[in-house]
Amino acid sequence: MSTVLHSPAAPPAGAGQAPAKERKRRPVSEAGLRGRWWRFALILAVTAVVLVPIGAVVVLSLLPAQASTTTGLTLENFTGAFEKTLASTWLANSLVVTLATVVVSVAVAAPAGYVLSRGKSRAVSGYSLLLFVMQSLPIITSVVPLFILFANLGLVDNLLGITIVYVASTMAVATWMMAAYFDSIPVSLEEASWIDGCSVFGSFLKVVLRNSLPGVLSTAIFAFLLAWNDYLVAIVFLRSNEIFTLPVGVQSFFQQNATDWGSVMALAVVMMIPPIFVFAALNKYFSVGGIGGSLAGR
Amino acid sequence: MTTVNSGLSRARRGIAPGGAGRPAPQAGVNRASKLHGQTSRTYFWLILPSVLLLLLINGYPLVYAGIQATHDGSLIDAGNFVGVDNFSSVLASEAFWKAVQFTLVFTLVGVFGSWAVGLGLALLLRTRIPAGGLFKVLLLLPWVVPIVVSSTAWNWLVASPDSPTAKLFTAFGLETPLFLADPTLAAVTVCLFKVWVSFPFMMMMSAGALTSVDNTVYEAASMDGATRWQQFTGITLPLTARSTYISWILMTIFCVNDFPTIYLLTGGGPVDATTSLVVYAYRKVFQDFQTGPGVAVAFLMTITLVIVSTALYRQIRKSSVE
Repeated sequence: MSTVLHSPAAPPAGAGQAPAKERKRRPVSEAGLRGRWWRFALILAVTAVVLVPIGAVVVLSLLPAQASTTTGLTLENFTGAFEKTLASTWLANSLVVTLATVVVSVAVAAPAGYVLSRGKSRAVSGYSLLLFVMQSLPIITSVVPLFILFANLGLVDNLLGITIVYVASTMAVATWMMAAYFDSIPVSLEEASWIDGCSVFGSFLKVVLRNSLPGVLSTAIFAFLLAWNDYLVAIVFLRSNEIFTLPVGVQSFFQQNATDWGSVMALAVVMMIPPIFVFAALNKYFSVGGIGGSLAGR
Repeated sequence: MTTVNSGLSRARRGIAPGGAGRPAPQAGVNRASKLHGQTSRTYFWLILPSVLLLLLINGYPLVYAGIQATHDGSLIDAGNFVGVDNFSSVLASEAFWKAVQFTLVFTLVGVFGSWAVGLGLALLLRTRIPAGGLFKVLLLLPWVVPIVVSSTAWNWLVASPDSPTAKLFTAFGLETPLFLADPTLAAVTVCLFKVWVSFPFMMMMSAGALTSVDNTVYEAASMDGATRWQQFTGITLPLTARSTYISWILMTIFCVNDFPTIYLLTGGGPVDATTSLVVYAYRKVFQDFQTGPGVAVAFLMTITLVIVSTALYRQIRKSSVE
């Protein structure tokens, strides 16, 4: 499982490449061409069916409400939704929490992933097992005790509180992702810097981390998706309307106004734009395949 | 730039992790040992924040949950020690076993449904298709879009008798189905929703595994007259077996612990038909305010998952040493 490639730009590295190139030069037979269009039709049909719910959200958000006089497509659902609800506050809350989660979880997971990648002691493999076990536990188990702890610390109904929980819940996967990337950086680079008198920490920062932008981005995307999309933690820890993040805010609005589809869908569109944008811009860096190798490798 | 993980290839070459590929710095014995001491110390500080966070946010609550599970308290009051009463009352209740049953069904369908769809699409996208790259990105959307959004969309599509799907059934002269009101249909719908949400993850995992399979193996096989199906069962499946196994394990964990997919679509209803263990625990604690039994359910899940995941982790490690 060397790579996850869903980037159109990057060809698969290594073994598969040479035969693929050869095939390109060979003239395509008529049967091969027909097969290719059949597969195209098949994947087009599947993609169309898969995207129906998402397409419905977009279309409904742009259709005018039944009572409205406007015809055709309109943005009035969006302006209406922002007037009727605290959506702008929720959006700001979601952005703050998500960005904080991304920054802190990369800052904590990168050094830990480095140790996981380079360390050889029993303690390191013990830590790896601990991460796997923690990852497999239902978050509901920790949510109730944390609720009581956070209530005493004033962290319930507080954005800092859920940020801490998000960072902790990204930890296992984020560490594996970073470790998987560091594995691909040759140790000889660090050795060279050690000989030049660089400390271990210095070489981690200046040599390893500086060359790990794709790994860092991949981890950041993962943390972004987790924090932005979370519902369970937010519904437990956030109590008041003006502290809600978007998922909780939109869901509470949906429960009270189940027939106001236009506003609900407009808010849904607002909520899905950032993750789609991040993914569209950065998806070539995103890799989950590394997780498997990272688990198995040490 | 691609994310290359050397774990698997290293294992295949038979080199132990951190072994031959990674010689210790050889700059004289004195310097090496000095560096070694510095290395351990630096490693300690590098990993410390992560360990502290895990202990505080995962370790401490686990211990506390153990205490809560043996008390009859509430969210604000610690309550009295009641021993294993919470566990025995939970284990004796019919609702708990119904939740166990649904969790099993949901997990089995979730894991193998999303795997089959994901692998199928990964295989299809591996061949040359016009605009293949675009499809790869579009097909990831169900996994990228927030669950709150997709559950809202699914609700609109299937929930009420005048939803588009219900109308479609009526148009074909079929009985109007009550997707979320009929217990069996609701369970089917929730499982389908889970497959829809999860298949992109399996597609990414499968695509990653497939890139490491050498194309020439297929060419050789087809020269020997192997059919497509024989190539699939004889080459694709065995060569990606280990990664498939890992993706099953991860997806099992995701499914067992899944809350929003079920809760946002049906809230666990109708008549508890789609109540999984996590939903059951959540409702016990936050709707019935029975903290003890609720945490007891979560704790039983935790113990089971710790045992199972430790065993599976060993298994993964063992298979990579072979």
